Amino acid sequence: MSRLWVRAVLVAALLTSVAGGAAVGVAGAASVETMLDGALVPSSAPALLGPITEAGRKGWACKPEQAASARHWRDAELPDAAAP
Amino acid sequence: MLLRTFAAALIVFAAGAGIAAAQTYGTSTPPPRTTDVHTLRALAQAREVHERFTIGLDAERRGQWAAAAAEFERIITLHPPEPQFSTAYYDAGIAYAHLNRMDDAARSFRAAIAGDPQFLAAMANLIAVDLARGDLSEARSVADRFVALAPDSARAQYSRGIVALRQGDFGAARRSFGQLLQADPQYALAHYNLAIAQAGDGQYPSAEHELRIALDLAPSYGRARFALGTVLLHEGKRAQAREAFDAVARDAAGDAALRNLAVAMRDAIRP
Repeated sequence: MSRLWVRAVLVAALLTSVAGGAAVGVAGAASVETMLDGALVPSSAPALLGPITEAGRKGWACKPEQAASARHWRDAELPDAAAP
Repeated sequence: MLLRTFAAALIVFAAGAGIAAAQTYGTSTPPPRTTDVHTLRALAQAREVHERFTIGLDAERRGQWAAAAAEFERIITLHPPEPQFSTAYYDAGIAYAHLNRMDDAARSFRAAIAGDPQFLAAMANLIAVDLARGDLSEARSVADRFVALAPDSARAQYSRGIVALRQGDFGAARRSFGQLLQADPQYALAHYNLAIAQAGDGQYPSAEHELRIALDLAPSYGRARFALGTVLLHEGKRAQAREAFDAVARDAAGDAALRNLAVAMRDAIRP
């Protein structure tokens, strides 16, 4: 009878350690997965373009409107990789 | 003696002529040639609009946003003709945005576009404000219109790409950043954002390729290196991912949040 109890206790301990180890492994993997969630974020939104004089947007000197239609990112006042 | 007197007289004459030239006045504003009340009122109003634009723009240059907003609000109540009406709304929008009155800013930029339906700078700013206040639906519709009006505009494509990424519309984001890169292949942020869109669709090898290009163009771009680590981890390249996070942890001293995240990721990956 006592040997039976000893065996049962040993088996239970073994099962507990196996289940515990598996849980730790799953938790570790889950924590990395959780950390990955939301890690890939877009770069910042472009900053506001500046004020325009009363002459309006159609003049050759209207820099904000020129920036809005510029073909290249530097002329368009877009964010730089140095300060994303 | 006579010669000396003549020379002295000549000097005095020359000096007098110089002073007289310095005292010439510019052309004066012609007086109004009317006594009609409505015409005089219109002239006075035009003068007020001009003065308030000058004062408002000067206040914006000095960062006095509340004072600037007051000037443009007054111009709007005067309802001047185009382009002043839409421009006053545009400038008021900038002042409101700096005062963190984002709903008022959006309303102003919307009114500027209503007054001038091809006002690209107002569209650009409305998208920026909508992103700040979380109105992705309006930001997307304005960005689509912006791209339709100016398909070669870098800002239009970038703005639509960012809005699409925030909406989780990775296909539209890929198209926008792809078009931006056709015109400007040296723009590291476009490669980075294209990679984010590809990773969002599970295209990790393509994303890795774009991120490596972004890092070739801008080697100190910490967020791109961090994203590369994340993509490598998704691809099962744990050792390379750990190296990428380790590099960010070493180099991103200026971005404490990114550095802490990189340290946590590096330490979570067993070597």
